[in-house]
Amino acid sequence: MTRIKKLPALLLIVATSTIVAAQTRTQAQTEWQRMFDMGLKYGTALELYTALKSTAHGGLQSPPFARLPDWSGLWTASGGGSFFGLGPTGVSPKLTPAAAAALNKGKELDANGISYDENLSECGPPGFPRWLVIPFLREFIVRPEQTWLSSETVNNVRRIYTDGRNHPPVEDRFPLYYGDSIGFWDDQKLVIHTNQLMKRSMGRNEPEQSDQMETVEIWEKTDARTIEAKVWIYDPALYLEPWYLTRRYTQVANTDKSVRMNYWHCGENPNNDVYKTPDGSTQFREFTFSPKDKR
Amino acid sequence: MNRIRVATFLFGALFVVVPLLVEAHHSGVMFDSTKEITVEGTVKEFQYTNPHSWLLVDVTNKDGSVTTWGFEAEGPTTLMQRRIRPSDFPFGTKVTITGNPMKDGRPGATWIKAVRADGKAFYPRGQAPQQ
Repeated sequence: MTRIKKLPALLLIVATSTIVAAQTRTQAQTEWQRMFDMGLKYGTALELYTALKSTAHGGLQSPPFARLPDWSGLWTASGGGSFFGLGPTGVSPKLTPAAAAALNKGKELDANGISYDENLSECGPPGFPRWLVIPFLREFIVRPEQTWLSSETVNNVRRIYTDGRNHPPVEDRFPLYYGDSIGFWDDQKLVIHTNQLMKRSMGRNEPEQSDQMETVEIWEKTDARTIEAKVWIYDPALYLEPWYLTRRYTQVANTDKSVRMNYWHCGENPNNDVYKTPDGSTQFREFTFSPKDKR
Repeated sequence: MNRIRVATFLFGALFVVVPLLVEAHHSGVMFDSTKEITVEGTVKEFQYTNPHSWLLVDVTNKDGSVTTWGFEAEGPTTLMQRRIRPSDFPFGTKVTITGNPMKDGRPGATWIKAVRADGKAFYPRGQAPQQ
C-alpha cells in the first residue's frame, strides 16, 4: 500500500528531472551555437577580442584586488569540447584539406593501436592550446596586473597580462610554446587574446597547429566549484573557419589540504622512459625492476 | 603462491579506464586493454613519482624463482586524490593486484585494483562500476 502511494511521487521526480535535464541541455546547446556564431562574425581573433573589449567599454586593466574573483584552490580539467570533435549542436570543425588528411591518418593509426607523443613523451611541454585539455592539477593565481594560469604538467605557467600592455610589435614576435597573452577584466570575466604560438602537434595522432594560430578566451567562475573557459581558435592553416569550444575545470575536493602541486619532471623515474618504435608507436625502455627481461 | 589469471576485460571497464589513460605523458598503447592479469605477491617498492607511479611487487613463481612485476598508475597528486598514499604500501605488504598486462610479455601492467591482505582495496583509476 505504501509502495503504491510512493510510486506517483517517484514518477513525478523522475519526470521533473528528465525535463530539467533536457532544458539544461537545450540551453547549453543554444549558448554554444551563439558563441560559435559570434566567432564566425570576425575574420581574426584580434578582431573578436577588440569587439569584446569595445562591448566591455574598454574593460578593466589592473583592477583592485577587491574587484577580482576568487579562483583559489586546486582545479582539474573536467571536460567540454575538443579541437576536432563535434560541437554539442552537431557542428563539426571545418578543416583545411591538409588538416583533414592528417586527422584521418591519425584516426587510422589510433585504430591500429599506434600512438606516440612528440611532445610529452620527449619531456616537452604540451603547449597551447593543448594546455586546455591536459589532465593533472591546475592553479589559477589572480592578481591585478596579471593572472597566472598554471598546470602541474611540466610546471607550465601561462601569464595573462592585464596591466594594459599590448603584444610585442610584429617585427619582434617569435614562436612560443604558450604564446603571448594579454587580457582585460569584464566584471568577473577574464578576456584573453593569445598570439605568437608555435607550430606543433595538437595532441597524439592529431594535426599540427600553425604559427598563424591566434585565440580568444573568456574565463569565468560559473559556480563555487566550476571555472569555465570559452575558447575561439583562429588558424587558417588548420581551420577554414574559426572553431569554438568550451572547457570546464572543477575544483578538487581538498578539505584536509593533503593534495598539493609539486615540481613535476617527466624524467624523474626511468621506468617511465619511452621511445618511438620503427612503426611510429610507443614502447617502454628497459625497466629497472626487470633488467633481464627481453623486449 | 604464484597465481596468474588472464581474463576477458570487463566491457564496462573500457569506459572507465581507457579514457583516463589518454594524455598522460605516454600513451597506453604498450598495454593490452582487452586483458587483465592478477598476481599475488609482496610489495618491493612503491615508486611515488611523476608523471606515473609504479608499484613493484615480488611474485614467487611455481619453480620458486621470483619475478618483480611493475604496476603503473598516475602521478602523486592523482593518487592522493584517490586516497592512495605512499604509506599504504610499505615494503613487504602482501597484495593481490590486477591490471592490463603489457603486450610484449614483460612483467608490467597498468594498475587497476590492488587488495591488501587486510581486505582494503585501492583503485588508482577510479572504482569500476558494479557489474
